[in-house]
Amino acid sequence: MIPETSQTDGRDDALLVETSGLTKRYGARITAVDDLDLSVRRGEVYGFLGPNGAGKTTTLRMILGLIKPSSGTATVLGEAPGAPAGLARVGALVESPAFYPYLSGRDNLRVMARYSGVAPSRVEEVLQQVELSGRAGDRFKKYSLGMKQRLGVAAALLKDPELLILDEPANGLDPKGMADMRAIIRGVREEGKTVLISSHLLGEVEQICDRIGVILRGKLVAERTMEELRGREGGLLVRAEPLEEATRVAQDLPEVEEAQVADGMLRITVDPARAAEVNAGLVNAGVRVSELRMVERSLEEMFLELTGGETV
Amino acid sequence: MGASFMAELLKLYKRPAVWVLTAIWLAFVVLFAYALPYAFFANLPEPEVPEDAPPEMQSKMQTQSEAASEQLMSQLYPENMAAYVLSGISGTGGTLALILGALFVGSEYGWGTLKTVLSQRPGRLTAFFAKMLALGAALALFVLLAFVAGAICSLVVAGIQGAAVGWPPLAQLLEGLGAGAVILAVWAALGVFLATLFRSTALAIGLGLFYALALEGIVFGLPIPNESFQDARQFFLGQNSGFLADSFTGGSYNSPSRHQART
Ligand SMILES: Nc1ncnc2c1ncn2[C@@H]1O[C@H](COP(=O)(O)OP(=O)(O)O)[C@@H](O)[C@H]1O
Ligand SMILES: [Mg+2]
Repeated sequence: MIPETSQTDGRDDALLVETSGLTKRYGARITAVDDLDLSVRRGEVYGFLGPNGAGKTTTLRMILGLIKPSSGTATVLGEAPGAPAGLARVGALVESPAFYPYLSGRDNLRVMARYSGVAPSRVEEVLQQVELSGRAGDRFKKYSLGMKQRLGVAAALLKDPELLILDEPANGLDPKGMADMRAIIRGVREEGKTVLISSHLLGEVEQICDRIGVILRGKLVAERTMEELRGREGGLLVRAEPLEEATRVAQDLPEVEEAQVADGMLRITVDPARAAEVNAGLVNAGVRVSELRMVERSLEEMFLELTGGETV
Repeated sequence: MGASFMAELLKLYKRPAVWVLTAIWLAFVVLFAYALPYAFFANLPEPEVPEDAPPEMQSKMQTQSEAASEQLMSQLYPENMAAYVLSGISGTGGTLALILGALFVGSEYGWGTLKTVLSQRPGRLTAFFAKMLALGAALALFVLLAFVAGAICSLVVAGIQGAAVGWPPLAQLLEGLGAGAVILAVWAALGVFLATLFRSTALAIGLGLFYALALEGIVFGLPIPNESFQDARQFFLGQNSGFLADSFTGGSYNSPSRHQART
């Protein structure tokens, strides 16, 4: 029933989601999303991060065709947002999971399966995938928040989609629930699918993301791969005697960008892969090096910096 | 479309509110259209005949009062079933249809399920038409139920009264079903419209009921003899439902032959 669309069509097949100048205004004063250029590549888990009210949900709604952009465009799997051909290959959970309270979890999924035109047998499969089979007969209104989130993910998985869009799926989950959610997403990624996941907490998603984009007041302020994010601001911490001498020597080394003293240690901004050269340079200049290690700058710290400390 | 319609049906028959409305609907037909009127017509007060009136006068008054109560009672007989049930549908039935229409659409806003549905696949128009189709099916079933319940009740009344059982012509029955469905559909459409406008069930039902129960009554209760004002009545829902229902009876009911009816 779902049209079998070849996976190699489309102009730029590597990008499953591409937005250009995407903007959403509410009235004259609120610009929820501001000139946003976002791209999600095939096969990656893209973390769409930003504090509450930054415009994540609004962006995802536009990508799904639930609301119309004020200006700008979006392409999803080579289709316009909301076009049935594209929607057939996208599964989504937007904002809080919303289902019929009087129906059981299973019946809710049966309803959704009919809407999306997938085989009824998918219902039990996705229930198992999110580990909700045991409580599938209970009414939705009796579910805990964690179970509701799982059901939302299950509904998003019904179509066995190429692209899975999850809006803050970890909201309201306890640590165990969060770990389960990450396991589900890893499983989806291992099937070769693409995931676009939003969160206001980097810690929730950094373990599973390949790339993150940071949105702040409707604008995309940074887009990095995880390697870039971990490596770029990296450097070396060196305990050396005498410190002033070590600083001067380090600054003169060709691979070093910057060297300063911080907390009684020498902090060198440099590609951590060049640690051996730095060490040799210092020792050759007669500096005694007693300790040399990589700076592990926490991602949370970086995220805070990018978002101007607005995150919770 | 077909699959979305099936989805709507699943939601429909598993929804407790729908069954509650169905129960109210049936209770309305049985209780308010038949049981209570029957009890009332069967116990009309005897006419007060002056003791000193001449005997032929006494028996004449007696006959007249019996004829009057038989005339009333005859509305409840199977023969008049189609027109009688229809007149009920055009009144209270309309408000129930309005509630159903508002529930159908408004709840999806209240629960936020519209976005869940639309993220599945069907597309806005398909989802909407599937919903309207399901609503139409529910209304058709409601009309059918009312007629079946009306038929059973009228049989019981005729049985108790010992009246001859005659049914309305098939054509009239079918027209009655059709007219009932049209009346309910128009009221339900008002519910759908209000719920869509306000994106809420409660507000739609509140306003809809206010309109149905109070506003039209107030407007047409106003003693304004102005001709164009009277003409405006044709644009009002309750008035129109009434007109359509009345067209079946010409405003009055057939009285079955009393000679047959009496044993
Ligand atoms: N329907 C709406 N009307 C007016 N303002 C809105 C509407 N939806 C969202 N906003 C505003 O747009 C901004 C972004 O909201 P949202 O996309 O929900 O943020 P996030 O999902 O990142 O928390 C917020 O300031 C919010 O108040
Ligand atoms: Mg949000």
